[in-house]
Amino acid sequence: MDTTVYQPIPGTPPAQGTPAVRARSLTKLYGKGEATVRALDGVDVDFEKGAFTAIMGPSGSGKSTLMHLLAGLDTASSGQGFIGDTEITALGDNELTRLRRDRVGFVFQSFNLLPMFTAEQNITLPIELAGRKVDAETKEWLATLVQTLGLGARLTHRPSELSGGQQQRVAIARALIAKPEVVFADEPTGNLDSRSGAEVLSFLRRSVRELGRTIIMVTHDPTAAAYADRVILIADGRIAGDIDNPTPESVLAGLDALRTLENDPADALAGTTGPTAVRA
Amino acid sequence: MVRLTLAQMRRSIGRLSAAGIAILIGTAFLTATLLAGTVINRITTDSIAAQFADSDLVVASNAGIDQAGVAEIRGTEGVEAADPQVLRAFELVSGGKRTYQVVVPTASDPRFEAQELVEGAMPARSGQIALPSDVAERLGLGLGDTVTVVRSVWTPNAEGAATEQGAPTGATDGETAAPEEIAPTDGATDEAGSETAPTDQDAPVEEEPAGTFVDTNEKLTLVGTLDDPMGAYAQVGGAGVLSDEDLTAWEAESFVPGESATAYNAVLVALAPGADLEAVRSSVTGSLGGDTEVWTSAEYAKEQAAQMTGGEDVFTYVILTFAAIALLVAALVIANTFQVLVAQRTRTLALLRCVGADRKQLARSVLLEAVILGLVASVAGILFGIGLVQLALTVAGSMDLGIPLPSVVQVTPVAVLVPLLVGTVVTLVASFSPARAATRVAPLAALRPSDAPTLTSGAGRVRLAISSILVVGGAGLLVLGVLLGQQGSAEAGLLAATAGGAASFVGVLVGAIFWLPKVVSLVGKVLTGSGSTAKLAAANTLRNPRRTAATSTALLIGVTLVAMMSTGAVSARMSMNNELDGRYPVDVSLATDGYDEYGGNQPVALPQSTIGTAEKVDGVESVVPLTATSVTVDLDGNDVTFLARGVDPGAAAALVRDEKAVEGLAPGTVVVPAGVAEDWGISTGDELELAAAPLPEDANPQGTPATLEALVTPMGGRALLVTPQTLEGVATGTPVTSAWVGLADVNDAASVVPALQDALAETDLPIDVTGAAVERAMYQKVVDTILGVIVGLLAVAVVIALIGVANTLSLSVIERRRESATLRAIGLSRSQLRWMLAIEGMLIAGVGAVLGILLGIAYGWAGASAALAVMGDVTLAVPWRDVALVLVVALVAGLLASVIPGRSAARTSPVEALAVD
Repeated sequence: MDTTVYQPIPGTPPAQGTPAVRARSLTKLYGKGEATVRALDGVDVDFEKGAFTAIMGPSGSGKSTLMHLLAGLDTASSGQGFIGDTEITALGDNELTRLRRDRVGFVFQSFNLLPMFTAEQNITLPIELAGRKVDAETKEWLATLVQTLGLGARLTHRPSELSGGQQQRVAIARALIAKPEVVFADEPTGNLDSRSGAEVLSFLRRSVRELGRTIIMVTHDPTAAAYADRVILIADGRIAGDIDNPTPESVLAGLDALRTLENDPADALAGTTGPTAVRA
Repeated sequence: MVRLTLAQMRRSIGRLSAAGIAILIGTAFLTATLLAGTVINRITTDSIAAQFADSDLVVASNAGIDQAGVAEIRGTEGVEAADPQVLRAFELVSGGKRTYQVVVPTASDPRFEAQELVEGAMPARSGQIALPSDVAERLGLGLGDTVTVVRSVWTPNAEGAATEQGAPTGATDGETAAPEEIAPTDGATDEAGSETAPTDQDAPVEEEPAGTFVDTNEKLTLVGTLDDPMGAYAQVGGAGVLSDEDLTAWEAESFVPGESATAYNAVLVALAPGADLEAVRSSVTGSLGGDTEVWTSAEYAKEQAAQMTGGEDVFTYVILTFAAIALLVAALVIANTFQVLVAQRTRTLALLRCVGADRKQLARSVLLEAVILGLVASVAGILFGIGLVQLALTVAGSMDLGIPLPSVVQVTPVAVLVPLLVGTVVTLVASFSPARAATRVAPLAALRPSDAPTLTSGAGRVRLAISSILVVGGAGLLVLGVLLGQQGSAEAGLLAATAGGAASFVGVLVGAIFWLPKVVSLVGKVLTGSGSTAKLAAANTLRNPRRTAATSTALLIGVTLVAMMSTGAVSARMSMNNELDGRYPVDVSLATDGYDEYGGNQPVALPQSTIGTAEKVDGVESVVPLTATSVTVDLDGNDVTFLARGVDPGAAAALVRDEKAVEGLAPGTVVVPAGVAEDWGISTGDELELAAAPLPEDANPQGTPATLEALVTPMGGRALLVTPQTLEGVATGTPVTSAWVGLADVNDAASVVPALQDALAETDLPIDVTGAAVERAMYQKVVDTILGVIVGLLAVAVVIALIGVANTLSLSVIERRRESATLRAIGLSRSQLRWMLAIEGMLIAGVGAVLGILLGIAYGWAGASAALAVMGDVTLAVPWRDVALVLVVALVAGLLASVIPGRSAARTSPVEALAVD
């Protein structure tokens, strides 16, 4: 039961209906007894529909854990996570699988394309896993995706014949093919050179702006984060900042502020109760 | 480097043990075979030695030692006693029960007595007999009871050489009432067997002096029951003991005068106290001369066993062939495992290269690992094999088989060293190619992120060329073999077909990598349509063609051989059925006068009750009675005796297999079997005058000779066929002596015939049961037994191959951990993931099995065509039942093989897809 009172985070744009993804007191503990690690410590956060949000933070901050929980890949120790109106923290494995199949898309750092399938087969795989036929509407959507992502000439190639950037674009198309409510991207540029990385990020932003998708991206690269509409900073398993319309500079400044907080935790805790808005 | 190898082995212990099991089974098989050979050898030697009891020397001669020779040995200084080794067989009758029994004469010295008395005494004089206690029990005899011994006595003809009865008819069948020579346990007596055979059955009409063998019944009193603790006569079903006096007298009467005299292959000698063995040996050798050799009993037993195990070794070699097949399959499984191990360790290997390991070191590390695995698995396999043989001995020992078995298995160095060496070398050789792969790992690979395994390229052109040459050349030889076989040279044909089959099979196996994975994937696509899980599974089988090929091939080998044997057996069965159907007119015939078709004894009536009994047996459709009597026919001035049977033409036509056999049978005609017509120059349309033949112990029967028109038909047997009325006219009061039995389905012969025989055994009258169905039942049993043994032996190879399928799947699961997680993340459910692996397993196993079955059927047909063509038309058949069974086993095994890997794959958390290593 949700006892948390929903409070809009200062600075977020006005809510348009239900947020795409919500977290309420989301907590994840690893280990037992003395060795317990609070990977995520009662996080409350909303992700708006039709927005490109980046989650940033130093390694070990809990940003990946947050994403795993919100995407239904891992189970929370306590608290709630929602995709749309569905409380994913209450679902069993089969329901989660169905949820992932129909309502969530993933983009991985190491692309994770199936080597034995062509680019096109990889893209349409989620449709087939769901047991659906590739119908006219899907074909049209596929054509749109292929055009937007510039994959036209590559559809019949296998992953081993594609460059890293191309593989990641195929992965993005795969994540979007089922028109999921939200796409989670985990360090999508981590294995790419800066040019391919920039390309992939532009495509992610175009997917949001032109195709109306919702994307949540985990990254530790301020330049990558600057492509997003909004950056949420995480440190020590808590939300530590929120930057709207970020630029690389504003993100860096936010990270610096985090570092100061880390260096002087007593000071930081004294001044903050709940999510802190770090303004750049 | 050794430490590193060991550390790596520890990390891969699970995978290595799966591969090790393959080698373990192979070496256990090998060890068990070798040990079983030793055990059989020992049992043989022991049982032969037991026949010599406590004798000191054995005088042996292939040419035979006659009575004079025996007397000479007895007279030699230092010899206390000497007895020739004699084994004869007679028919024993008590009440309604009959049995063939080997008998030996009483020994002149207790040292020659191989058996022990259970009750009573050894025969002391003429008219007494001692029998093995189980035989006495079977015949329902107690001490003091009377048992009838049937022996044949040569009786010169009273009227001289006028009658020719028995001579040409006997040529078709060796069955006579002569004392049957049962080959004694030493194979060398075979020659003596034919030498002492009373007459040459194949001799043409003239025979001097003329006479016949007449069965004489001797009434003997049972004075003792015997036990054979050392199994001296276990191989001939135990031996009774007759007084030496009786046996010698009977022996003399069983020969055609002047034909041959009794000669013995071996004479047992017991030395007088204090006599020098060597001195006796040389004086006996000197006095007998010729090819006579004098052995100590132990030496002779060994020598005889060696002669016999010449045959046993063939048996061992045959089984070793199957062990070799099992090991070949194990090698494939191991090569597969090592390939994957090397692939998985790419990063480690590359890292080692980065820090200065050279190619040779990496290769050596892999080879060392193989040697360690091979040694450990072989040792385990040897222990397992020894355990199996020990278990078999213990179980057999507790079952009292009548043969003294060693209670503890005797482990020979060969049975340990050979499997150890073979197992290790096979493992080592199987790892050569993976070791080469290890050397190809570039140091740079350590720096690259490890990608999901990509499609590996196929194999080179050399392989394709070799494979093509072998397949094409082998197929050519195979066809040549079939053609040769059809032209009548079965041996050359079989040789060519075997060589061709082996070559083309090796070619198919070598080339498997080019086509097998494609077939697997194609089948997957066709069978599974557009289902995503199945599509994934089919695509997975293509990603590593080499591994899919090797896994499927391992199964293909065993399945091909099983299918080949089974097809060959079924084809042989069908062809023999056709052949038999042509030879016998009816399914089964029952007769009280079985011998009479070839001789001329008084007919014994077949009671109506017996016919009723036969009719009631399940699977019997109809029974037609036949009357019979001996008739004489004047052929070119000679009175030739035949057996004539009377049968109702309508009933006969309904029952005979080939209606032509009785076509035209009517009052006024006589059907002459083709074989008889050929021997006596009778052709259709000839006039034959049938007259009642004189019967030995009775007044001549009443009747009027009839002149009948001969009809030569494809009828089998030697008896003339007329209507019952005609026969009644020729000899009044002819009894029913036989019956034709039609089975509802002759293919059920294997079950109906024994049931029929059992039912008839309960009547006291001895009845001969013959016919196509009887022979069918008999050899069907033989063929089925041989097939069962062969398939059982091949099953070991199939089991190893199935372990290979499981191994491959679990390796795939480990290898595709990230991929499984990705699939889970993008919406594949746990059950879909498990199902995907199950389909993959069934595809690999199923395709291996189907291809194996197809190949096996082709080879089976080719082999049958080449080998059986001499028999006439070869019927090519498909053993559907066996084929279905193999397929089901393969599919179920493929499914089962995926269970454990599937569980482990389903446990993979989707989070792992995000992991970066």
